[in-house]
Amino acid sequence: MSLAALRTSMEQGPAVSPFLMLGDPTPDLSVELARTAVAAGAGMLEIGLPYSDPAADGPAIQAATGRALAAGTSTRRGFRLLARIAEACPGIPLNLLVYGNLVHRIGYERFTDTVSQAGASTLLVPDIPLEEALPLRRACRGAGLGHVELAGPLTPAPRLARLAQGSAFLYLAGFQGVTGVRHGGFAAVLGRVTEVAESVDVPVCLGFGISSRDQIVRAFGAGARIAVVGSHLARVVGTLYGAPADAERLVAGYRSAVLALASNG
Amino acid sequence: MKASLRPRLGAFGSFGGRFAPELLTPALEELETARREIVPTPAFRDELDREARAWVGRPTPLTRAPRFSDRAGLETVFKREDLLHGGAHKANNVLGQALLARHMGKTRLIAETGAGQHGTATAMIAARFGMQAVIYMGEKDMERQAPNVKRMELCGAEVIPVTAGARTLKDAINEALRDWTASLSTTHYLLGTAAGPHPFPRLVRDFQAVIGREAKRQWRREFGGLPDVVVACVGGGSNAIGIFHAFVPDKSVRLVGVEPGGAGLDSGRHGATLVRGTPGLLHGARTMILQDDEGQILEPHSISAGLDYPGVGPEHAHLQETGRARYVAATDEEALAAFEVLSATEGIVPAFEPSHALAFVLRARESGELAAGARVLLNLCGRGDKDLETYFALGRSS
Repeated sequence: MSLAALRTSMEQGPAVSPFLMLGDPTPDLSVELARTAVAAGAGMLEIGLPYSDPAADGPAIQAATGRALAAGTSTRRGFRLLARIAEACPGIPLNLLVYGNLVHRIGYERFTDTVSQAGASTLLVPDIPLEEALPLRRACRGAGLGHVELAGPLTPAPRLARLAQGSAFLYLAGFQGVTGVRHGGFAAVLGRVTEVAESVDVPVCLGFGISSRDQIVRAFGAGARIAVVGSHLARVVGTLYGAPADAERLVAGYRSAVLALASNG
Repeated sequence: MKASLRPRLGAFGSFGGRFAPELLTPALEELETARREIVPTPAFRDELDREARAWVGRPTPLTRAPRFSDRAGLETVFKREDLLHGGAHKANNVLGQALLARHMGKTRLIAETGAGQHGTATAMIAARFGMQAVIYMGEKDMERQAPNVKRMELCGAEVIPVTAGARTLKDAINEALRDWTASLSTTHYLLGTAAGPHPFPRLVRDFQAVIGREAKRQWRREFGGLPDVVVACVGGGSNAIGIFHAFVPDKSVRLVGVEPGGAGLDSGRHGATLVRGTPGLLHGARTMILQDDEGQILEPHSISAGLDYPGVGPEHAHLQETGRARYVAATDEEALAAFEVLSATEGIVPAFEPSHALAFVLRARESGELAAGARVLLNLCGRGDKDLETYFALGRSS
């Protein structure tokens, strides 16, 4: 999936982007869930590579990480799963979300080359902020991979502009905190989406705390081009899957959950 | 190491930096501004000095240890941070940071703790300053250190069990970072060691550097000249950087940091991040860490909960890389033996942490790690009351 395909996708309209963790709850099922999500209307996928110390994530994504690691999802295996997902979901942009140490350990260039070849279109490393991101950006460019920056509710306007510059899209965290489902306070989030969307010239992606179709519709209305649903779906996986016998129930339940997020009516 | 990978903010050579999520940037920038603008002012320095004397118990003495020195075959002098309020060097850092937090208008302190020493120190300063304290502690550590949990609660702190990951210190740091991301407008994260994203390694070092400044002055006055070797244990490395800092420009003084060798370096069960680790990104800094070949963080092992950390302050990684300081390891067994030797020869029961530094001195002449005649300054960074229960449970006969 090339970076150009991300632009094509953006031209087609706003995209609902489920987050899924490679290897959660098992390696094979995570590929199946990706395919299921796209069939149910996902226009994009955000994909996590499990890491032992996910300091920017709340309980639901931490649990997903734990399940994926327990199922034996090494980084090498994660790369193969990513390639299988890219093959199973043609035309769907894949944004890879990975903590800095996994990238640093392998080397920025080798890592970006590998995931680009596996089919990722963009890369977001939450714990490598703007000041330290130059080598990573360079590596992404070399690999034909888009780089995505994170912004938050308190990010001042001049910094937003610097973040957006050279970013494939700007990932805006709606709430100040870690990832997770939140209730209330969404009106302020929408105001912030509009403010940011009007001040930068790259697509704005809203994430953190989105769990319903209603929120997604309002986020698109406010100017977001991508809406990520993470913790809510990670909880669906955690609730529906306990043992291999639950596989069918999981896929069916996951399909309904994504359908409810991605379709009108 | 490519030059392009050198961190941009707060670098120590190729280590350090600010590898923390964007959502923490406002808090880290606010703290850096406060560090630059408030800490150097005479008003802040005066307040810090006054509290350091009246509440923390500074200055601490240098103590000659003739009977221990006979055993080691090396003249050894202790910097007595074990005599500080709370029983460890941790008080220097919590006082400085809490004072700064108060100047910044923060009303709530959060902290991580492993053995409970830093959590206890934070709870004490919060009580004194009338601030709210929330301490994150791994569930496993809460079981191992139950009396310290009670002590924190007695001082009015809330202790929150961390059930994520391995349920130990590194997970408590992750949880404190998560709290801070959501609470930064009212809350200061009082990080307990000279690690973490910029500006923490410098902030903590500067509040702990009083140890080395004092010791250098006292040494000159009492013994003349400078010590030949300065020795300290290293977990996150705050007591070590605290005593090293004043001596870094004195090239004749050798600096030795002693890491926890656990069950032995080849057992894989240790916490020797500088001796056996590799460069990586952990808790906001590029530093030496314990990780597997794909970058997953490994759990360290040590008899000493205070040294049980898979990372280390980035300045130590730099001092090692440049050769200015040397880092070695002492095993659990060596540390326990040294704990017994110091108790029996000098009537000082040390914490398990500095027992690692003591173990190095006890073996150094025979092993050739230090030459005969070397005069050693050792940071005795904590007292051993907290470890007695663990020690007696081992059923050793000394």
